[in-house]
Amino acid sequence: MRKFTLFLALMLFIGMQVALAQTRTITGTVTNADDGSTIPGVSVVVQGTTYGTTTDLDGKYSLNVPEDAQNLIFSFVGMKTAVREIGSSNVVNLVMEPEITAIEGVVVTALGISREKKSLGYSTQEVGGDELNTIRGNNFVNNLRGKASGVQVKSSGNMGGSTNVIIRGTSSITGNNQAMYVVDGVPINNSNNNNDGQISGRSGYDYGSAASDIDPNNIESINILKGAAATALYGSRAANGVILITTKKGKKSVGGAKILGVTLNSNVTTGFVDKSTFPKYQTQYGAGYGPFYSDTDTPGLEYIYDVDGDGQIDLTVPTTEDASVGQEFDPDLMVFQWDSYDPANPNYHKATPWVNTPNDPIEFFETPWSFTNNIDIVGGGDNSTFRLSYTNLDQTGIMPNSSLKKNNVLLSGSYDILDNLKVTASANYINTKGKGRNPTGYSDNLMSSFRQWWQTNVDILQQKEIYDQTGRNVTWNPKTPTNLDPIYWDNPYWARYENYQSDERSRLIGYAQADWQINDYFSLMGRYSIDTYGELQEERKAIGSVSGELGVGRPDVTSGYTRFDRSFTETNIDFIARFNKYLSDNWNLNALLGTNIRRSKEDQVFASTDGGLIVPNLYALSNSVNLMQPPEERLAEIGVNGYFAGVSVGWKNLVYLDGNVRYDQSSTLPKDKNGYPYGSISGSFLFSSLMEDQSWLQLGKFRLGYASVGNGAPWGSIKDTYTLNGIWGGTAMYSLPHNKQNQTLEPERSNSLEAGLEMVFLQNRLGFDLSYYDKKTDNQIIPVAVSYATGYSGKWVNAGKVENKGLELTLFGTPVISNDFRWDITLNWARNRNKVVELQEGLENLRLASLQGGVTINARVGEPLGTIQGTDYVYDDNGNRVVASSGYYLKTATSDVVLGDINPDWTGGINNAFSYRAWSLSFLIDWQRGGSIFSLDQWYGQGTGLYEETVYTNDLGNPVRDPVVENEDGTYADNSGGMILEGVVNTGTEEAPVYETNTTRVEGGDYRVWGWSRNPNKAFVFDASYVKLRELVISYSIPKAKLSKVWLDGATFSLVGGNLWIISKNLKHADPEASQGAGNIQGWQSGVMPSVRNLGLSVKLSF
Amino acid sequence: MKKIILAFIVLIGVSTSCTKNFEDFNTDKKNPTEVPGEYLFANAQKELADQVASTNVNLNVWKLFAQHWTETTYTDEANYDIVNRTIADYTFRTYYRNILADLKEATNVITAEVPEGAVAAIERENKLRIIELVEVYCYNRLVDMFGDIPYGEALDIENISPVYDDAATIYDDLILKATNAIAGLNAAEGSYGGDDLFFHGDVTMWKKFGNTLIVKMGITLADYNDGKAKTAIEGAYAGAFEMGEICELVYLGGSNSNPLYQDLVQSGRDDFVPANTIVDLMNGLEDPRRPAYFTLHEGEYIGGEYGYSNTFSQYSHIAPEIQEPTYPMTLLDYTELAFYLAEAAERGYSVGGSAADHYTSAITSSFDHWGIEGAADYITANPYDAGNWKESIGTQAYIAFYVRGFVGYTEWRRLGFPAMNIPPNPAESAGGEVPRRFTYPINEQTLNGTNYTSASTAIGGDYLRTKLFWDKN
Repeated sequence: MRKFTLFLALMLFIGMQVALAQTRTITGTVTNADDGSTIPGVSVVVQGTTYGTTTDLDGKYSLNVPEDAQNLIFSFVGMKTAVREIGSSNVVNLVMEPEITAIEGVVVTALGISREKKSLGYSTQEVGGDELNTIRGNNFVNNLRGKASGVQVKSSGNMGGSTNVIIRGTSSITGNNQAMYVVDGVPINNSNNNNDGQISGRSGYDYGSAASDIDPNNIESINILKGAAATALYGSRAANGVILITTKKGKKSVGGAKILGVTLNSNVTTGFVDKSTFPKYQTQYGAGYGPFYSDTDTPGLEYIYDVDGDGQIDLTVPTTEDASVGQEFDPDLMVFQWDSYDPANPNYHKATPWVNTPNDPIEFFETPWSFTNNIDIVGGGDNSTFRLSYTNLDQTGIMPNSSLKKNNVLLSGSYDILDNLKVTASANYINTKGKGRNPTGYSDNLMSSFRQWWQTNVDILQQKEIYDQTGRNVTWNPKTPTNLDPIYWDNPYWARYENYQSDERSRLIGYAQADWQINDYFSLMGRYSIDTYGELQEERKAIGSVSGELGVGRPDVTSGYTRFDRSFTETNIDFIARFNKYLSDNWNLNALLGTNIRRSKEDQVFASTDGGLIVPNLYALSNSVNLMQPPEERLAEIGVNGYFAGVSVGWKNLVYLDGNVRYDQSSTLPKDKNGYPYGSISGSFLFSSLMEDQSWLQLGKFRLGYASVGNGAPWGSIKDTYTLNGIWGGTAMYSLPHNKQNQTLEPERSNSLEAGLEMVFLQNRLGFDLSYYDKKTDNQIIPVAVSYATGYSGKWVNAGKVENKGLELTLFGTPVISNDFRWDITLNWARNRNKVVELQEGLENLRLASLQGGVTINARVGEPLGTIQGTDYVYDDNGNRVVASSGYYLKTATSDVVLGDINPDWTGGINNAFSYRAWSLSFLIDWQRGGSIFSLDQWYGQGTGLYEETVYTNDLGNPVRDPVVENEDGTYADNSGGMILEGVVNTGTEEAPVYETNTTRVEGGDYRVWGWSRNPNKAFVFDASYVKLRELVISYSIPKAKLSKVWLDGATFSLVGGNLWIISKNLKHADPEASQGAGNIQGWQSGVMPSVRNLGLSVKLSF
Repeated sequence: MKKIILAFIVLIGVSTSCTKNFEDFNTDKKNPTEVPGEYLFANAQKELADQVASTNVNLNVWKLFAQHWTETTYTDEANYDIVNRTIADYTFRTYYRNILADLKEATNVITAEVPEGAVAAIERENKLRIIELVEVYCYNRLVDMFGDIPYGEALDIENISPVYDDAATIYDDLILKATNAIAGLNAAEGSYGGDDLFFHGDVTMWKKFGNTLIVKMGITLADYNDGKAKTAIEGAYAGAFEMGEICELVYLGGSNSNPLYQDLVQSGRDDFVPANTIVDLMNGLEDPRRPAYFTLHEGEYIGGEYGYSNTFSQYSHIAPEIQEPTYPMTLLDYTELAFYLAEAAERGYSVGGSAADHYTSAITSSFDHWGIEGAADYITANPYDAGNWKESIGTQAYIAFYVRGFVGYTEWRRLGFPAMNIPPNPAESAGGEVPRRFTYPINEQTLNGTNYTSASTAIGGDYLRTKLFWDKN
């Protein structure tokens, strides 16, 4: 006890000041009549005075009242205001009844501050934890799709892959546009550790978004802070919006009885490939690029080799050709195929019928399984709470040899050291192991083989058999009948089982926090939080594989090993002093002052073997043919010191005003100018308070906010350093950096204006929340691309302005409600208009990425951020495509024509939830309208004649792939194949063109007409719109009455369907959402994964 | 409770102590802010040799344009499609960003050094002059690829829209710059030593390199301005390479392998075969160098049909020696010089010998270079023909420049021999013919548009078919 003496003396001193006014202290707890939970934030005021307080996080209050005080008034949005007589007792508890007429409650806002939603002058949207726990996938954020307006969630479709989360459009030209994640006040790192090459479509793997480490089982609720007015207190990196997560907590005992609750959650999910997102192959022609391999009757086949050694030349498949514009299938035609070359094969030295395979690559995919098991223990005593949660996820993907395992342990607790001093701590350990993730991008990606470079005659299961039998790389794509080395593609099973990657991340997220309620209206909070992880990514290529980019400097090698070690640590120290007081019956003042000290450190090493491996199957750096290249190292440390203050004033439940200012000092800016202030102001006006008699209107609120937020520079953009390119003997070869750094960078600035209208009608049966925003991000710090003639690729400058304007609408209604049955509808809809207003003076276009196929993703003045540019058709004045005299389309001379942009016109989701007694059913449809995609898959895959569109009957009634036959007079014969491209030809001169309808027939049996060779990029830019049945949940909860016999508090069984049906889309053969990963480079597909329809069963038991 | 208060105080203390060394956070602790200029020079040399050697379809398609080689399955580049893979962009990137920028930086660093003593001062001067010669070599290649290019305003990050200079004017300046550089070299002292990957610091060889380069530029100008060509060549030939002398990079193997090894062997791909253009030509001449150039296919030398699809296994392949990781890449040599001198003599310039003499030396040198006997007999069978000197020199130079695609292609542009094949689907911009230049990078259209447009107009349109100022053939 002695240790408290000093403190007690201090408390006495503070208490004395109040005691002088002849007061006494009333304490109590406010609980919810619905579920017995305590309610924080309830306003408690002595009637007719300015004495007042609010309940703390545990629903408790302590209030000094004048001796003559009679009544306490308890009020809280969503609850019936209650008046209680004080009487002689010093304890006044209250069970609050929900108020049917109000719908808005308390929400957690920036810095973890609970606020009444009605008082907010900006838009937030809450999503309950249950809604995120429907489909058990790798990343809970995928379940946010369609559930919040203005939040665009796009999953890459890769196993364990990253998810692009954009709130209110992209505004940073080259920087990060992803939303920020904050869990119980701890910022969570969401790095996407995919390398630059992978992001721009070269080979690599999608290692996922680091925020996927958050276990949805721990989430109580999510509040999405969309605009800068809501996030200004978090500092600049919250400018893209914040996903604010509140975790489940333990509960204090009620009435002395200790609480212990145990919940078991178990889920099993399987799935199957959605065939509409995988190529539909043509089935009539096999391997080759055209009819030119031999002078035989079957010119699509080679006639060069004597395969079986009988002295006769044999007909063979051109196995080197990874295309299917070859010989027409004919079961009577006997051909030596890849399977006749290897002695291990049953068909060794045997010719087999020339037929389409019964087993195309869709047979390659396996049934994915996912098992999630969670145990959740909550409890508490009089002064303490704790919660322990453990989740295990064990998942296999659709690709053979792919798996993902996660273990997540969370322990959190709180202890009231004193009545007014509470400490809270939490530690969350997460271990994630991935193996056999699918490669992404153009080269060295099996899926790009299936979608772009394949032979329709190859039986994929035969490839499996030969690999299983031999363990060797016996490929369908050998160089010759005697040199069986693969030329472009490995045996797909070899690629999966030998050339797999693996990765592991171990992470600790934790905090310790102290809350000190010094008196009724003044409190202090101190918190130390840390997010730290170590990650290892290993990539392998076995000896005997096809050459591919691997390792330091990305050389082409036929074997090798790379390892990427990365560690990341971020610490935050926060101090916040808060003041909250009713100045009078009508005036409430809420103020805070705080500081945030942030430090982050990113430390990484990338090393690889060079020139291949020596000893087979030994994946170690030392097993390198050549001496290793110097590893690539990066050590990036960032410090930001922030100081902030905020004031909010409320008047009569009618008008609320908020103002925040923050000053940041960022280590990434030049040191003499590294500080910058910013702030926000917002207000809300509850006009419904003026017309309380209107029974049809329960809430009417207008809000308006303005914010200006500054942002520092990316790490390392100020000072130049040299880059080591290699060592030549004793000479180190150094070069200048490719981007010129800049000593004069200034902070970026983002200004946004937001207005909103919220209304609730008809006893809460109908309501809406409408927002309009206008955000301008200015003075952006970007590495502008410059002419190579300057000696650089780019230069860091302050330039560029991007504007996002949009509308967001959330509409909710309850069409039917009765004792047993209820039907709720929620609609979320958002439309964002994004525009690059200006770049650096004189610069019209900034290239963000240059992708395979010759298309680029750009910031172009006057266009939305993220234009897809490439070659277009040439058009005449009437908009007809112009065909050259060759019969093929003319292409624009330059590749900078805008062909589309990556931003959707609008996005939305509509959820219907029905409940009938113990049963409930809900389904969510979400959609995206607009946005463009360049399909490299079809750019090449149509060209290689894989897709069904490349086989049809032409205008003369003949197969389009039949040869073009001309009569002597130059007209076409009745039996002619080929096609006439729709368009016009110029029969005049270049200066005075005369356009006439094209009549020239071109060969359909030659690859050129179909794909990349003779078509502009425009031909393969597609609309990314879709409508999907995203979620379907049927659940049954056993009524409590029946459970009491089996010691259960609750038991719920759910059947969950995810991505069940793509109701409509305009991109054939693929899911328009699929991509190489999250980030600013979207709108390009190569070798993307098909989407999977998921079906899961969940059981939740509470004891 | 004291503990708690204490803890708060400690925490505040910790947080404020963090603010020390705040600026250090933005310091890159893993990469140097200062390096010796010699290392930058070495890097530029390696980049240059790699570029010249490479047959990567993104970086260097000159072995195709020269029709020394052709492609097997993917024939876009052999059909002159350089847009799909933005090859011109990569070319600008390599020369300006990867080579010339480092040379300029090397100059800045070396200039800033304070030499200790007279010898060091001379060495420093030698180093700077050698850089100038390598710069001349690079710009000469760029002009010969594109025509007008950024030159006077190039390599200045403060000016992101560099003007394109007139190609002929650049030529004049390059010759002047080379002449001055040679004059400034002092062979009595050394230069880079081992950091010079080409000549290991041998200043005498750099002088000869410079003079050979002047002869090369001179002869290129001959059809455009005979007087200038004559002056340049006559002033330089005597100080140029002698028989057996060469500027080359001898690759070390391992991580310093010839890019051809990476492209042809390590890639595991079979993308290239010798083209029928050169194979048929050499077959006709029964050229003894064929075994050094190609492999036999079923007892014969058979080249792939230029620009068409070719089954790799059905044709001769590139000789295995060329695919070795240590295969040296030639940048400039006596063979090349001797062909130029033969032409110079034919044009009536005074170059210390007759056209036939130099022609003989050139072929002899080429045979020596390839390690082939029988040059004399070959020359007897294919004597210099003054009446058809363009064919005589052009054909032989074209053969001798095997693997040195750009030089072979330029020789064809200048002299018009041998006859080239037209591929089946030549890019529109080539106008159905063999291209006469590279089109400008797409990057330049978007990032340096005004100057691009002016340059495009100045040279007669940004087409593959547009002839360069010196191309009168």
